Amino acid sequence: MTTSTAPATQNPLRAGLRLPRTPDACAVVVFGATGDLTARKLMPALYNLARSRMMPTGFSIVGFARRDWSDEQFRTIMKEAVTKYSREPIDGELWDSFARRLHYVSSNFDDIEGYKRLGDRLNKQDTAHGASGNRLFYLATPPTAYADIARHLGEAGLSRGGDAGGWARLVVEKPFGRDLESARELDRNIGLVFRERQIFRIDHYLGKETVQNIMVFRFSNGIFEPIWNRRYVDNVQVSVAETVGVEGRGAYYEESGALRDMVQNHLMQVLALIAMEPTASFRGDAVRDEKAKVFLAIKPIRDIERDTLRAQYASGAILGERVPGYRQEDGVSPTSITETYAALRLEIENWRWAGVPFYLRVGKRLPKRATEVAITFKMAPLQLFRQIGADNATPNLLVLRIQPDEGISLRFGAKVPGTRSDVRPVNMDFRYGTSFGVDAPEAYERLLLDAMLGDSTLFTRWDGVEAAWELLNPVLDAWSNGASPLQTYEAGSWGPKRADALIEGDGREWHRM
Amino acid sequence: MAPDVTAIERLTDAPVAVQPADVEAEFSRIWQETTGTGAGESSIRLRVLNFIGIGLTDDARDRFGHVMEALPERHPCRGIMAMTAPGHDAVIASISAHCWRSGSGNRHVCSEEVLLQAAPGQERPLASAVLALLVPELPVAAWLIGDLDFDHAIATEIIGAAERVFIDSTGSPDARAILRSAAHAVAGHDIEVCDLAWCRLGAWRGLVAQFFDGDDGPRQLASLQSIEIVSGGNELGSESLLLAGWLVSCLGLSIADVSRSAGRIEATLYDGSNGVRLAISASGGAIAPLERVSLKTKDAAFLVELHHDSGHMHVREEWPDARVRRTVAPSPTDEALLFAEALDDADDPGVFLGAMNSALSLLGDDDVRESPAQPS
Repeated sequence: MTTSTAPATQNPLRAGLRLPRTPDACAVVVFGATGDLTARKLMPALYNLARSRMMPTGFSIVGFARRDWSDEQFRTIMKEAVTKYSREPIDGELWDSFARRLHYVSSNFDDIEGYKRLGDRLNKQDTAHGASGNRLFYLATPPTAYADIARHLGEAGLSRGGDAGGWARLVVEKPFGRDLESARELDRNIGLVFRERQIFRIDHYLGKETVQNIMVFRFSNGIFEPIWNRRYVDNVQVSVAETVGVEGRGAYYEESGALRDMVQNHLMQVLALIAMEPTASFRGDAVRDEKAKVFLAIKPIRDIERDTLRAQYASGAILGERVPGYRQEDGVSPTSITETYAALRLEIENWRWAGVPFYLRVGKRLPKRATEVAITFKMAPLQLFRQIGADNATPNLLVLRIQPDEGISLRFGAKVPGTRSDVRPVNMDFRYGTSFGVDAPEAYERLLLDAMLGDSTLFTRWDGVEAAWELLNPVLDAWSNGASPLQTYEAGSWGPKRADALIEGDGREWHRM
Repeated sequence: MAPDVTAIERLTDAPVAVQPADVEAEFSRIWQETTGTGAGESSIRLRVLNFIGIGLTDDARDRFGHVMEALPERHPCRGIMAMTAPGHDAVIASISAHCWRSGSGNRHVCSEEVLLQAAPGQERPLASAVLALLVPELPVAAWLIGDLDFDHAIATEIIGAAERVFIDSTGSPDARAILRSAAHAVAGHDIEVCDLAWCRLGAWRGLVAQFFDGDDGPRQLASLQSIEIVSGGNELGSESLLLAGWLVSCLGLSIADVSRSAGRIEATLYDGSNGVRLAISASGGAIAPLERVSLKTKDAAFLVELHHDSGHMHVREEWPDARVRRTVAPSPTDEALLFAEALDDADDPGVFLGAMNSALSLLGDDDVRESPAQPS
């Protein structure tokens, strides 16, 4: 059994197998084990990994939360959760084998005694399940608890693996801070106990197959990379449209808003994948280094009025059903100025992208649910067919559909059959669902597996988090001082009129999703 | 992203008989009729692969049909079954189209199947018809169904057009003959051969490899003392031989002191001066092609066995400081799923080749290389 933090040596029997290696034997400790994230995402992901032989032989899972549950209660409730939420149907015998590894420790997050009990439990389980002193601590708790948990883990001696040696890693869910200052404070506090290489900041967008495919699409196809630059690209739009409102999370959303909830993390990560330079390899920090260079090259937003927009939905109708306005949602102040829609215009000041605007927009209660990256190319240098009366040429458009209806489409002009030379835009369309019938693993399966393997490529690094906050903090400050006044839009519309003005001022328009 | 796949529906009530030259036109006609109906639904004719079955019997045709019932969900394809059957003066064709509902919308995705038959002696026209019906620019996978030899008249020309050729040595009464034929085909035709028996070993290989994954893995490998492999049936099946061959070739072991008897091979494998005892035996049971694998090192032991009732795999590891066991799902047994996985994964053909050659060495075949092939 492995007991060191060094990367595993090449195993000759791995040649030709799908996984280059399986994770070291380890214990996964989930803080907030009674919460929604554990039930909906984490436990089904861990079960499916174990089912498909991707967990190490020696593993255990320990739930840590306030509720006074026994191991058996925890197992029963987790079985219900996996039955309900797993992408694969639960199998009795496989579940029983998995459930023997489930344990529970009841404690408040601020009770040091609870952490000592956790340590004792883990050391016993190292023997029982062969977990070898390796620990993966997963913070599925409210962010306010992150610093305390990290501190107590340190005080209890759990930040360095178990009695038998081994590694300790900390997985942190978003949001990582609510502004630059709080993010730095959180990083400082966690950094007192864990080193950067031990910290895995999770952004589940990066675990999505279609987000990972951005890199595959760019770097495994020879035809796109040569035109992926300012010479050929006119503008890039990253859009996240949701039909839902705050879904009972009004109190949380009041503290967050669209910019913090989506732009600072998900949209910035997608933007980085679109804009980054090719890496020489996927080893170590290669991808995160390139992403960091993108963040550093983004021009600070100086003209808040021109380059940003915030808005809030009023009552309206989604798919024919009346829905309340944001201020009428539960947990939301009737005078709230929290934005449910945000749009930004960014520029990346480097040789590849200078002069190409990147438009980011995110909104709730829009007419349809869609996450897309739309890359509009420049028009052909000569509109040849305009000379003979065909005046409807449109620029080529490449759309990477991240969800739903995942796929890629390319718009180009084609001759309309007939005696004239009319040009009409047509689409070449690829859809994952039809070309790959295989069940894609959930994002959390990939991310949990990578965290256990110690591969941080798909996790955000502190410099990336900090750079995103450095970019957006002035926007938040300016908004709180009244800049770019809050607009309203009717639920079921594509956002406020001024969102169109933000892009139309550049002579462009939003891609219709 | 997972498509919401419902049961396969056939666009054609029954296979439609057509002249081989009219296959494309007839597909176009069926296609136009389909897209002209079904209010509110859209259909996609999708092919990412040419998948050819070659066989001589009705059983071969039925196996191909079974695979085509499910394979297109993961690999939308044009399936072409070529077989000889008495009573046909010329090559005859019949076509059918399969659709399934997929994606977030009400979308039909459709693949197509062609059955080509000709009388024995008409193999060349039959092969020519197959080649004419391949969808251009798409990869070609061919499956030699049953004990069909690579050099059979119906096969030679078709496999020349294929990137991958599948065989299935599982259950063959003469595993040695079929493996030897595959080894010669690889050497003689420079084609990539994939044995479904090898695909069935995916979970076994993964679990055995996992035992040596940790930092301690090299030390454990260096102190390997014994390997025991037990197959079902009364004869040694190809799975057990390939698994043994895989361990021999991947670990760079040389074979010595071989003793062979009915349903049993014993040998000593050498890595330098360290000897590893190897025993492959047939249990006489009828449970599965491969039932149990155990390995012992100086201070640890590993066992994986197929559970008779559930079909799951039970894994047990014994270390000086811990004993752990767990239950995991096996590789798929259904042929359609095996094909789907095999076509998904680009397994290193050099690994299979090394395993095959070493398996033949264990069987005493002098025509193949004794030294293991290195993974490419």
